[in-house]
Amino acid sequence: MFKDIFNLALLQHTIRTATPLILAAMGGLLTQEAGILNIGLEGMILLGAFFGVVGSFFFGTSAMGVGFAVLSGIIIGLIFAFFVIDLKSDEFVIGIAINMFAGGLTVFLLRSIFGVKGAFSSPKIIALPRINIPILDKIPILNTLLNNHTIFVYVSWILVVLIYIYLYKTAQGRWLRASGEYPEALETAGISPRKMKYIASIMCGILCGLAGAHLSLGYLKLFTEQMSANRGFIAMAAIIFGGGNPIRTALAALLFGFFDALGIRLQAVGIPSQITQMIPYGATVVALVVMTKRKINQTRVKREQINE
Amino acid sequence: MKLVTKERKEYLISLSLSIIISLLMGGVIMLINGKSPIVGYGALLDGAFGSKFKIANTLAKTAPLVMTGLATAIAFNSGISNIGGEGQLYLGAFAAALSGIYLSFLPKSISIIAVILIAGIVGGLYAFIPGILKVKFKVNEVVTTIMFNTIAILFTSYLVNNPFATSDSKMSGTDIIASSFQLDKLVSLTTLNSSIYYVALIVILMYYLMNKTSNGYEFKMVGQNGLFAKYGGVKSGKTMMIAMVISGAICGITGAFEVIGVHYRFLEKISPELAFDGMLVALVVKNNPIGIVAMGLFFAAMKTGSIYMETATGIPSELVKVIQAVIILFIAGENGFKSIYINWKLNRESIKEEN
Amino acid sequence: MEDYILELKNITKKFPGVVANNDINLNIKEGEIHAIIGENGAGKSTLMNILYGLIKPTSGKIIHKGKPVKFNNSLDARDCGIGMVHQHFKLVPSFTVWENITLGVEVRKNKIFVDEKKSLEYISDLSKKYGLEVNPMDRVEFLSVGIQQRVEILKALYKGADIIILDEPTAVLTPQETDELFVVIKELVKDQGKTVIIITHKLREVMAISDRVSVMRRGEMIDTVNTKDVDENRLAELMVGREVLLDEVARDKIDSSEVMMEVKDLYARNNLDMLAVRGMDLKLKKGEILGIAGIEGNGQSELIESLTGLRDIAKGEIYISGEKIKKINPLSMRKHGVAHVPEDRLSMGLSKDATIMENLLMGNQNKKEYRGKLNHLKKKNVRSMSKKLIADFDVRTPSEDVLIDNLSGGNMQKVVIAREFNFNTPILIISQPTRGVDIGAIEFIHQEIIKKRNEGVAILLVSAELDEIFRLSDRIVTMYEGRMTGEFKPSEITRQEIGLYMTGKTLREEE
Repeated sequence: MFKDIFNLALLQHTIRTATPLILAAMGGLLTQEAGILNIGLEGMILLGAFFGVVGSFFFGTSAMGVGFAVLSGIIIGLIFAFFVIDLKSDEFVIGIAINMFAGGLTVFLLRSIFGVKGAFSSPKIIALPRINIPILDKIPILNTLLNNHTIFVYVSWILVVLIYIYLYKTAQGRWLRASGEYPEALETAGISPRKMKYIASIMCGILCGLAGAHLSLGYLKLFTEQMSANRGFIAMAAIIFGGGNPIRTALAALLFGFFDALGIRLQAVGIPSQITQMIPYGATVVALVVMTKRKINQTRVKREQINE
Repeated sequence: MKLVTKERKEYLISLSLSIIISLLMGGVIMLINGKSPIVGYGALLDGAFGSKFKIANTLAKTAPLVMTGLATAIAFNSGISNIGGEGQLYLGAFAAALSGIYLSFLPKSISIIAVILIAGIVGGLYAFIPGILKVKFKVNEVVTTIMFNTIAILFTSYLVNNPFATSDSKMSGTDIIASSFQLDKLVSLTTLNSSIYYVALIVILMYYLMNKTSNGYEFKMVGQNGLFAKYGGVKSGKTMMIAMVISGAICGITGAFEVIGVHYRFLEKISPELAFDGMLVALVVKNNPIGIVAMGLFFAAMKTGSIYMETATGIPSELVKVIQAVIILFIAGENGFKSIYINWKLNRESIKEEN
Repeated sequence: MEDYILELKNITKKFPGVVANNDINLNIKEGEIHAIIGENGAGKSTLMNILYGLIKPTSGKIIHKGKPVKFNNSLDARDCGIGMVHQHFKLVPSFTVWENITLGVEVRKNKIFVDEKKSLEYISDLSKKYGLEVNPMDRVEFLSVGIQQRVEILKALYKGADIIILDEPTAVLTPQETDELFVVIKELVKDQGKTVIIITHKLREVMAISDRVSVMRRGEMIDTVNTKDVDENRLAELMVGREVLLDEVARDKIDSSEVMMEVKDLYARNNLDMLAVRGMDLKLKKGEILGIAGIEGNGQSELIESLTGLRDIAKGEIYISGEKIKKINPLSMRKHGVAHVPEDRLSMGLSKDATIMENLLMGNQNKKEYRGKLNHLKKKNVRSMSKKLIADFDVRTPSEDVLIDNLSGGNMQKVVIAREFNFNTPILIISQPTRGVDIGAIEFIHQEIIKKRNEGVAILLVSAELDEIFRLSDRIVTMYEGRMTGEFKPSEITRQEIGLYMTGKTLREEE
């Protein structure tokens, strides 16, 4: 039984399930670094998943699907930014509203455009292309593990590195981080924190859109109601777990993806999956407590002693 | 004698405008879909209030929204953001189901009170953890309560599929609770049950607590300006904790009512994000208890009405979710819109002056 | 006129309801250290923010090297070689020193990437040139305040500043760090030809470092003088001013032998964990007003917060009517009969989202008179109390249901005073009772304070306005750097003399 669960397919499955988590987490990480706690990731993913199907279905190419998903991401990112940054609304209220909005809108459109309830699939939906890396064909283990995934799997890995470089090695990335941590510092340096926050929100929308497109066009070629299935919140957990670092966030997403994949397999052999699924959330709470405590300890300056 | 303050007036105007604009947007969407908004909204209204059954269903849907709305209000009012209502609700519901199964020996006279107490305590305890983490360790309660939601939902899902799975059907649910724990349905073929009386009582109690008592005053002051409250001798940490626990308890009781009033057992997905809907209701009316009742009724009417609207006119019921989300967006952006409007007015005036 | 590097002509800045700067003229010479002094709210910061392009003046001109300039933002000011070191440092805590210095003006390679190597080289050259030692790789949040300030100065220099504005640079520094900073400033001016503008209210420092001093008061420029032509007393006089000449207030003779509150060897820390109160001893007697005179920032705020339970005491004891207070927190101090008018009504004294009535209720909500058996508030009593206080204290408002935010500063302050005075406590601690309050309200508030004194209440009064201290106090204690430097009867000392004690001079001489 052990071999049935812990095998290469599990790891391959992990890579697959982790991809939307990584993408969304990268998006959330950018807003997080710009000082905005975005709990609307869930809704943004859902919109991406839906509009990915719309684009792919009507234009017959997965590229248009991705294009639609990205466009929906840009629009929702702009709305989010406008309310949070310009109207100074509570970020989590807007996040929740976006989740509700996305949940309602996707189902509404599902029915008014496709006339179906619950789920929509069609042969006309073109899936994302799979990438075959010829060299890997000959290496048995790596081949199963790393080859023939959809394009977004590789894109997500590259993005993690790119975002790391962006945040830590480029001037604009630095400004983005400064806009979140201490906007006044950036402002006095003559750069608008507002602009940075807008950039972060829009990029977040785009990345969540991609995550959604991966869900609906990656392997399944279908859209179902609430298909984001809490991934936005797991991505948020990964961000917190990763402590603001893209690499660690991606690893956390991979780990959470692993638990997800494992849960499904355990379920198949009659072991309840919920326990493994709970791990990301529980671990995040623990991590948050530890990190908050460490931060308080770190920032405490040396006390001046009383000289008698 | 209560004066309608300038702020309240302005807010009521904003709220009405938000609702009207959102409904108009909904109408436009209907038009795009080739449906008449008048027919659509007519069906919606009819579906919500058109008959005894429809009214009963609307009221039944109002109850949990009002409960979770009040739970949100008391916490937010005190400056602690309890987004964990959903999790507290699940645990409360599960505790209620277990009580209904294992305490079946209790007579009906005690059983209902016992189950409310138990669910309240369970929900309250589950809110206590993120509360204490915030007050003592300054851990962001928004994040912890969100995580706690999913943990509770998964945990109860585990329990209901494994140790406590019912044997009499394949559904993911517990056994049916003892009849002494089942609340009567008030209108047959609807979900309206006698829990509505308890809800009414809780509404009155909460209104009294929040608006009439010194405790309510302290909650409010801690939420508005923690330093001022501290300066005035209010223990803000303790006050926040009390508010958080009450909030959790109400959510737990909401869950219990779903079990003892509606389903008579715990089901895996017992709440369609009731606590989130309730939270949004509270946010729209800025945590005002009376407003929560009114807005809860409005949201619930839209919910029940939308289902009738769908069968009658073919307009998908989810349209109301979109409308509700837009109302919330507008209200959340209220101050921002206002200041943009004021700046625009000032600008125009100063330009006039210069000319 | 050529020797002025910077001229401000007739600068006026109006905010809604306030004139922060009224027709200000200021000339800065190249290569001088120019101090700008004034009490809080005198308009110094507004003026400097105008100079740094963060605020646009309502009217007036800025002339840089003979040419009129317009600053739309800080970049424009930077282009004229103006750099600013803010009182609250504008440093990103998790960034390293070099990242902070270069923020916004990064050395780049391939257009988008930051060139770390070149940045580091550049910064190490810069820090050698100006003698400002830093480790560019340190993270700012782990650095001491003094070093952080050095980073700020380097940041200004890195961005090519010739004129450096230092806003209250010593407010957060230890004496040693202050001395080090002064050495740096002098070198910048003497060896590197920079011009330095230093904003402060510490007169000793003005004397120690500046070439010229400009004094501001209530939004106006009072005078600019050569430092060597004046002494601290003269400056203190200019700063505090005396234009508000109010009549003497009638005070009854009463027996004030009973000690109501006693403070023994009190130490307290400020928010940066540095000692702000260093061994204060006070005896507050029945029916007297004990005024604490001192330039702001010498531990008065921390002292008051310690006595009212808002700040933990590092060491020392408090006695009330001879009884040692064991548990010191806001509630227990109130229960022991201490009412408190705080220095900042908006952040502490009021909730601006609440109505006048709700603000007047604070502290009363658990009293029998206002709370019934079921914890319900007796709204009738609360309302009648509110109405009475609004009438008694002449709060100008249409009703008690108005949000406090809609009131003027003076009326807000009256609400705070009404509430605290209404507790009828034997002890009153009052801080800056008339800050930002119009003259009419000042007179009224002063009368109310004296009335309380005549009723036998023991009053501790802290004020930055020397006139207020002199007018109200039966006894004056001067405070300097967290310590008491002298104790006087107002009739036995002049304002000039007290200035010496407020600046710590006499204490040093006596040592």
